Amino acid sequence: MNFITQAQLTEWLDGIAHQQTLIAPYKMADILLYQPVQSSLMIAWDSIRPVMSAKEFFFPPSERLLLIEKGAAGIKLTETLPKGRQVIFGARPCDAHGIKVLDALFLDKPPVDLYYASRRANTTIIGLACKEMGSSCFCTSVGGAPDDASNMDVMLYPAEGGYAVEAVTEKGRSLIPDSLYTIDNRQRPAFNFISNIVNPQSINWPAHFDDEYWARTSERCLSCRACAYVCPTCRCFSVRDEFLPVEADGCNPGCAQYERIRGWDSCEGENYRRTAGGHRPRAEKSQRLRNRYFCKFYFYPEQYGLGNASACTGCGRCVDICPVNVDITEVITDLAR
Amino acid sequence: MRTFDQGADGVLILGCHIGECHYETGNHRAAKRLPILKALMSYAGLEPERLRLDWVSASEGERFSRIANEFVETVRALGPIKWRVPSGEAAILTQQFAAIRGDVPLVEQSCAVKTDAIRAKARELLNNGVVGYVIGYEVGLRGRTRPSFANTPEEANKLVWNPDCTYNLTTYLGKKRRPAVKGIEQPKPVAVVVKPCDSRAINVLLAENQFTREQVYIIGVTCEGTQHDPGVLQARCQVCNERVPVVYDTLIGDPPPQHEAKPSPVVLKVAELEQKTPAERMEFWLSQFDRCIRCYACRQACPMCNCPVCLYERDDSLWIGMGINMNEKRAFHLGRAYHLAGRCVGCNECERACPMNIPISLLNMKMAQEIEAAFSFRAGLKPVPSPVVTVLSGEYKEG
Amino acid sequence: MSDTTNPMKPYLGKLTAVKDLATEIKLFRVELLNGGRDAFASFQPGQFAFVSAFGFGEAPFGIANTCQRGPCVDFAVNRLGSVTTGLHELGEGDIVGVRGPLGNCFPMDAFKGRNLVVLGGGIGGAPLRPVIQTVLDNRADYGRLTILWAARTPSLLVFTDEYDEWRAAPDTSLHLTVDQADEKWDHNVGLITQLLEKVAPASENAVTITCGPPIMIYYVTRMLEKMDFAAKNNYVTLEARMHCGLGKCGRCNLGTKLICVDGPVFNMAQVGELMETFL
Repeated sequence: MNFITQAQLTEWLDGIAHQQTLIAPYKMADILLYQPVQSSLMIAWDSIRPVMSAKEFFFPPSERLLLIEKGAAGIKLTETLPKGRQVIFGARPCDAHGIKVLDALFLDKPPVDLYYASRRANTTIIGLACKEMGSSCFCTSVGGAPDDASNMDVMLYPAEGGYAVEAVTEKGRSLIPDSLYTIDNRQRPAFNFISNIVNPQSINWPAHFDDEYWARTSERCLSCRACAYVCPTCRCFSVRDEFLPVEADGCNPGCAQYERIRGWDSCEGENYRRTAGGHRPRAEKSQRLRNRYFCKFYFYPEQYGLGNASACTGCGRCVDICPVNVDITEVITDLAR
Repeated sequence: MRTFDQGADGVLILGCHIGECHYETGNHRAAKRLPILKALMSYAGLEPERLRLDWVSASEGERFSRIANEFVETVRALGPIKWRVPSGEAAILTQQFAAIRGDVPLVEQSCAVKTDAIRAKARELLNNGVVGYVIGYEVGLRGRTRPSFANTPEEANKLVWNPDCTYNLTTYLGKKRRPAVKGIEQPKPVAVVVKPCDSRAINVLLAENQFTREQVYIIGVTCEGTQHDPGVLQARCQVCNERVPVVYDTLIGDPPPQHEAKPSPVVLKVAELEQKTPAERMEFWLSQFDRCIRCYACRQACPMCNCPVCLYERDDSLWIGMGINMNEKRAFHLGRAYHLAGRCVGCNECERACPMNIPISLLNMKMAQEIEAAFSFRAGLKPVPSPVVTVLSGEYKEG
Repeated sequence: MSDTTNPMKPYLGKLTAVKDLATEIKLFRVELLNGGRDAFASFQPGQFAFVSAFGFGEAPFGIANTCQRGPCVDFAVNRLGSVTTGLHELGEGDIVGVRGPLGNCFPMDAFKGRNLVVLGGGIGGAPLRPVIQTVLDNRADYGRLTILWAARTPSLLVFTDEYDEWRAAPDTSLHLTVDQADEKWDHNVGLITQLLEKVAPASENAVTITCGPPIMIYYVTRMLEKMDFAAKNNYVTLEARMHCGLGKCGRCNLGTKLICVDGPVFNMAQVGELMETFL
């Protein structure tokens, strides 16, 4: 296998950090997050998976779509496409699986979303296989694996003394310097945990649409939306125009400036589907909770051609984060019965 | 608050003299609210002299110009404000901060006895048709305690009491009431299991007419404290003086002994922040808000946050932008803390629900301290509204 | 043309006319500028577009005319929220943004040779106007046209100055109703379902097109099926709060369908297959 020591890895990452934005797991206030780091010293090395997924570096919590200037000369619209290359180090297979699910939405189904596409093209993902399985992980139930390298650009596998490293794509290959690794005669380590949660795609979802189960399970739901925000694949967003009180670069004086901004939202929110006229479909928590699960396992796969795969990556973030223990694995297990 | 966010170096608020308000009590409310707001803004890093409230009548030209000149001089002496975080600037990550944890061991709890008593009471209420359903606690598949809704006496046997019963179930009494389930009618009262802190929340909700006393049957439980890390009392329980619910229909458990008296980490941290300079405090808070993703889990978990459409999500007024940037996040948290002044009972559900460990309790505790100092008032001891919404006469007037 | 390879960036358009249609409802006629002209060269009845009141935001509106009666694009806007208030403040000559045309359309070709029953409630009449215009402009291609037009009060009826043109067309009838009449009203009073019962159009070789508040669509389509109109012949145009209109933001999903790309035009057989109700 191609072998790289910890020291070689940190040196490589420090080199990357000088040329691009390096994003890696970082610990803040006891919370593990993917954050831009200035050097490999800031990386939290012994960690499973961060609370937030890597989706925010492709589809950020909020981003400006357009800059709108209203002046005497009329209206000027300026697209604000993201620039700047970034490398995400330490992405877990569930994060990469999530990016693939979002690719189906933002890239594969026309029209292409230019903002996501720009970030996607400018990002290189260095993945890290999982040495252990978290208590809420079930990636193997949805077609993933702790050492799944698909959708990574480079993949690292923890090994004795360091890591096995593999270039998965051309983009990844171009990031690895020639002298980075040594080749030894060890086998690349495999990580073979299996979750005992049943594959959710084996459930006949439409048959459960009208179950009372949703009302009972959603009783304790707070509609807090935290599940959607930590999820690697949730993609609901809102678009709004907002006044910019301070002049942006390059704006002509005498113009009023606004930005058209899009930001994360979630179908769990109480007023998500409320129309100006006051009509509120999905007024009940049960309808919203049901929609989230159906979207993950039935609607989204059909709408975006995932075939027999679900849009869930089995990362278990929602299980950990839900304040009232609404548990996706429990739902899957209950419905599979 | 938003004026400072948009770049003003100072804000001067002038009202009519007390007793001369055209709307009778507008300036009463301002007189009570401004000092609390000033304390909050100062706590977040604003020099308090930049915000001033004073009284001028329309005919007092000389007084007006004197106050305005004084204020301008004061602000000028302070220099340009450093409050707004320019968009695009990298987050300030210098301050690492361990999440607030309690440091007193949990005492022996009489869980089994209370569990049985709660189940018995719930069964009795459901059997006699006194209530439509009982909101309590159960243990889920992963061994996590969570809220439970018992509709039948059989389901009542799932209810438990243990040191993980930290949830404030009163949040389900108002707006977030459970959906209509087929075959189960709603009009009967609802029973809810409450700890002392939760019972105070009920008083606040009653004072605010969220429901009537007859609509809720309160199963009060005496509390020895709840845990976050196993075996350790939660930080918020360390400040608790009530071990017995302040309002209840039935009481379960005996008044427990006092726990070991040790200053609460929350109170200590608030005091520590108060000693710092405004700039240090601002840096601290910006480091905390940096993590915020505006998921609003804090708001949803809070029993007191029950506006039909949250002020910060209204499209028409746009008090807060949608952008997940520092200024908007700070405005949300400070605004929410301010709206909870005199109403927050310190159940700390907000901080517990937050996926990012933002120390919201430090804001709420500060507000509670200010309210107690200014009005000798603690939220929820009686069904009386927060002093910040009432007028100076001390008696609550309708309308 | 920088105008828009970016589907989230609107074309600019100039308001050539702003007319009061009813209480708090205005008609906006937009002349597309630059690249927008090509994009809107051939829009179809049933399609919609996002109209931006810059500074307030954008919202989806059904296109209220045919491109044969173009080239400008008509939108009927009811003032209800922040975007519509922003639009109502604009006047002739002002600039708006337009994104589209989006969505699917009424299958006007499949309707040829058949009788049409068009039911419009309140501002729901706006996306039905291009259907009516298509039939009137190609009268020989279509059978009988029965229009049922409703509103809560007479002051909320839309396109009142076109009723004479509609009535005057051959083999075309117009029936009006309001929930609450005023002194000057001398047509029907009652819900559109009651009017439908009274008019009782024949279901043979007919298709129906309904648009209005969701509750109206629900009751009207139920009644139509009782009157022997097969579900697959009952067309509706549904709405949901949309933010992107491109099938990305996920807001408008109805079961497996997205109203912005799989709709907004559906027939009731399709709606019946969806697990979720639009109500």
